[in-house]
Amino acid sequence: MKTKQGFMLRSVAGRHVVVAVGKASLDFNGLITLNDTGAFLWEKLSKGCTYDELLSAMLETYEVDEATAREGIDSFLETARGADLIEE
Amino acid sequence: MKYNIAGVIVDMEPRFPRLRQQSRDYIYTGGADADVTIRLDEKFFRDRLAENPHLDYEMIEYIYMGSEFYNALIHFNGMLLHSSCVVYNGEAYLFSAPCGTGKSTHTQIWLKRFKDAYILNDDKPAIRITENGIYAFGTPFSGKTNLNVNAGVPIKGICVLERGSVNQIEPIAADDALFNILNQTVRPASEEVMDKLLATLDSVLRGVAVYRLRCNMELDAAETAYTGMNSSARV
Repeated sequence: MKTKQGFMLRSVAGRHVVVAVGKASLDFNGLITLNDTGAFLWEKLSKGCTYDELLSAMLETYEVDEATAREGIDSFLETARGADLIEE
Repeated sequence: MKYNIAGVIVDMEPRFPRLRQQSRDYIYTGGADADVTIRLDEKFFRDRLAENPHLDYEMIEYIYMGSEFYNALIHFNGMLLHSSCVVYNGEAYLFSAPCGTGKSTHTQIWLKRFKDAYILNDDKPAIRITENGIYAFGTPFSGKTNLNVNAGVPIKGICVLERGSVNQIEPIAADDALFNILNQTVRPASEEVMDKLLATLDSVLRGVAVYRLRCNMELDAAETAYTGMNSSARV
């Protein structure tokens, strides 16, 4: 899975924000704010990766157990999919 | 003809009285090359008129020369903020909101309340990151009114303006500010230009406090806004 074309993550005034450009901005002209973990996951997803790759990246980078990591990823993906930001 | 608009040397040839008159104060006679050249050809006028039959050539020139200027401004550490900008005591205060909220109405109250206050640009001031700080500039493009002054003034505060029954002002967090400001500027279509805009916004939000002002049309609204932006601590 991968973040959709046209959505870009940047750091502005200390916040991780996602904005849309080009065609994507016709459907989405808002602003998404991500926390550190969200930005980390977005970064991985923007290059395209599998669920298992997300999970192992998360376990390598953060000191969390697998259940917590899965919970974090699931809730992130649910929100991102709900906002139609991910292509499978 | 060259013009110095917000410190950017612009080469443009306005044909119609509205823009010619409004840009008169910005004529540049120095020797520097133009940073930006703006030309609208006959076909451009015809196409815009076909899309917007309620406009005429004069308004098309005024609106689209402005929009070309503000697109270019992003490449010079600058941006448009759709707002009414009032200057008092050498500092600029910008009030931003969607059309019809009462930006100009509010800054007109400042003129009544504060002697020597003046409107820098009533609708589309330019913001630029300069070596002296973050400045607002008057431009010839000031919306429905011709209220603009060719000057650059350090920005004291930016308010997201909403109508309310009582006057109230509070600082807002960076993401709230960013969302509101992005909705009141031109959003670039390309990632490369969006990157430049976000870099400018990053500097603006680090350097200038942003507030939410709820206000009515009483004289006290200006008092509340001024006091709020001159006393409260930064977020």
